[in-house]
Amino acid sequence: MTRTLPRLTAACGAALLSVGLVACGSSTATSPGTPATAPVQSEIATAPPADDATDGATADEDDPDDSGDGGTATAVAGDGAADKVSANTASEDEIAQALTAAGVSNPARWAEEVVEYRPYPADDPDLTKLRKNLAKYNPGQETTDEIVSALTP
Amino acid sequence: MTPAGVATGPRPGLVRHGLVALTAVGILAAAFELFSEHHWNGVEQLVPWAALAALAAATVLVLRPGGSGVGAARVLALLVLGASVYGVVDHVLVNYGSGPLDERFADTWDALPLLTRVWYAASKEVGPAPTLAPGVLGQTALLLLLATVGAPRRRAVAPG
Repeated sequence: MTRTLPRLTAACGAALLSVGLVACGSSTATSPGTPATAPVQSEIATAPPADDATDGATADEDDPDDSGDGGTATAVAGDGAADKVSANTASEDEIAQALTAAGVSNPARWAEEVVEYRPYPADDPDLTKLRKNLAKYNPGQETTDEIVSALTP
Repeated sequence: MTPAGVATGPRPGLVRHGLVALTAVGILAAAFELFSEHHWNGVEQLVPWAALAALAAATVLVLRPGGSGVGAARVLALLVLGASVYGVVDHVLVNYGSGPLDERFADTWDALPLLTRVWYAASKEVGPAPTLAPGVLGQTALLLLLATVGAPRRRAVAPG
């Protein structure tokens, strides 16, 4: 009797650990090599305020050159709807505004994701890293293309 | 012939050390998983790292001779247990918030019954966060708590 209890305790502990580790591994298997979580946000914005992007002071300016030559600073100015912003250095509001212009739904939420997965390699204009991370949310090819079309590294 | 009342099983210390070893394995496995997932985007994603540090400290405390660190280790393990529960809830909330981003639910998410949305979030039907993964922290903390049951206590030496 005195033998059984400790053995049972140890066996249960080992079994629980194994089950937990298996559950942990299998639940992440669909998206290997990608972050597990994203910031909690229960509010889904439909469109950002148009004048939010004027607040350039909120832009992340501390890592412009993280991934290569810093040729892209903050925004790539064009004319009309072809305006692109830098996924690496533009502020979240600027990205949201660019996504709105590109016709992306939930632009504020997607802008948050774009900022979260920085930095992006400067030599990858197709933003493969961003595409890979966005895929975890199952947005569909069309939405992914719309998001990427509004951004440059 | 074993005298009555004398335990014949494995030494209690062996089981205790086995549980501590399993705790150490759990800590290392969780750290590897977090590292491979690049789980450090923002303060919130640093919570499990802090929990792992606390659990490692608690493990060292349990191993202190004389059992002098058992009380503190239990407190730390309970904190980690709380962090684990928080992590599970947080992952469900992250997935819940990702519902409108999923092309399958983009137009219908808000119209779904609340329980359905919560179930989709908890079962990872929507969203990227593995809902039960933070539970490994709690499980490992429980292993350490078990290891403190029957741990040797510092006793006053009787004179003479």
